[in-house]
Amino acid sequence: MDPKAQELAERIISGDETVAARVISMIEDGEEEGFLVLSTLYPRTGGAFKIGITGSPGAGKSSIIDRLAYLYGKSGKKIGIIAIDPTSVKSKGAFFGDRLRFKSAEKVEGVFIRSMAHRGFSGGISKAAFGAECVLDALGKDIIIVESVGVGQTELSIYLISDIVVTVFTPDFGDEIQLMKAGLLEIGDVVVMNKMDMPNAEEKAKDLIAYIGDLKKDAPPFIKCSAKKGEGIELLLEVLEEKRREKLGMRREKVKALLLTFIKEELSRGIEKMVEEDPKFNEILHSVQSGKIDPYSASVHFVSELLKDGKMEDYKWRRKG
Amino acid sequence: MEEKRIKVLIAKPGLDGHDRGAKVIALALKEAGMEVVYSGLHKTIDQIVNMAIQEDVDVIGLSIMSGAHIPLTRKLMEKLKEKGIQDKKVFVGGVIPSKDIKLLKEMGVEGVFPGGTPIDDVIEAIKASVKK
Repeated sequence: MDPKAQELAERIISGDETVAARVISMIEDGEEEGFLVLSTLYPRTGGAFKIGITGSPGAGKSSIIDRLAYLYGKSGKKIGIIAIDPTSVKSKGAFFGDRLRFKSAEKVEGVFIRSMAHRGFSGGISKAAFGAECVLDALGKDIIIVESVGVGQTELSIYLISDIVVTVFTPDFGDEIQLMKAGLLEIGDVVVMNKMDMPNAEEKAKDLIAYIGDLKKDAPPFIKCSAKKGEGIELLLEVLEEKRREKLGMRREKVKALLLTFIKEELSRGIEKMVEEDPKFNEILHSVQSGKIDPYSASVHFVSELLKDGKMEDYKWRRKG
Repeated sequence: MEEKRIKVLIAKPGLDGHDRGAKVIALALKEAGMEVVYSGLHKTIDQIVNMAIQEDVDVIGLSIMSGAHIPLTRKLMEKLKEKGIQDKKVFVGGVIPSKDIKLLKEMGVEGVFPGGTPIDDVIEAIKASVKK
């Protein structure tokens, strides 16, 4: 075993925040050392309850997290918060403003808040978010709250890295047509309507409840909140704790889906460059570009040829960097 | 998986409530490809150091308009040392009289950007400091 990784892992387990934060960065940047530490820590994780919060931008996810973390913290729990924000497609930079909203949470002892950019990973989270959860778990956090990017309908990955997912709506969620689109409502284990202090809130809450009732046989619990006034958060905490045991039973299934996601990603990363350098690829690309064959058929043809030749063995995939 | 990105904390210590400049800088750094955490107003030095640790930033940029840049910066540099994270690069911007620049640099500040500094200069200085 790598002695340096071993030492870093031990420091995290003994509660060293600086090392924990550094190792999260290593995992984000794809440094091998980070993964060595992670694999040392991994058998020691699993104790923390992981809560995912998703919902549209401006729905009040951060404010709900702030109140929830405060309540959990007051009851003596150690809290980790991972706030994920989008990476700019153009510049690859990111701006994190969520810390501004964690004012009550900040007052509680033992809160660790980390902002992460999603860096192009699909599904509203960062690829490193799961690794960050493991590090915070090993650091001794009892509750880990992950805030997803909040782009609306493609937030499904948050489901894989959380034990339970809270979907946050507001009274201005739009109409039934928005809800009928696949996405957010499908993954919410608990549905919250925030901003109940808005004028038309009761009416819109009724609409949403009616819709959810029609949608699912076992409709998820529905909670009315006003994070601004601090209302409804106690109830949310109660419901989360009530469902905890049942939800932990789904970890094996979720980690399977997560592993598959990572394998697919790793495979495609390794294989993309090799494919581009393959003369057969250029041949078939030319056929597509000149309009002789469509890209769907071309891709199926290309891959079946590849597998038939036994050529896959020639492809060496390795992690970039 | 990913290449290393420069991560910056833009922090507003003390009592002044003007953060237009801090936000402009934060956005410019984001456009330059950096990951930027904004602290929000009225943070104590302890809170700022705590954020720098948890976010594992490479760079801390203090934005100060109140005239208290000398004591605030001194306290920050002491705290960084105490926490063993003096490897973080510190920059100070805002209303900073030119006579104070030398003293700030003596405290270990990497660069000082008085109001009116071209944004490209700020970006270049940050990139150069992280490469060191």
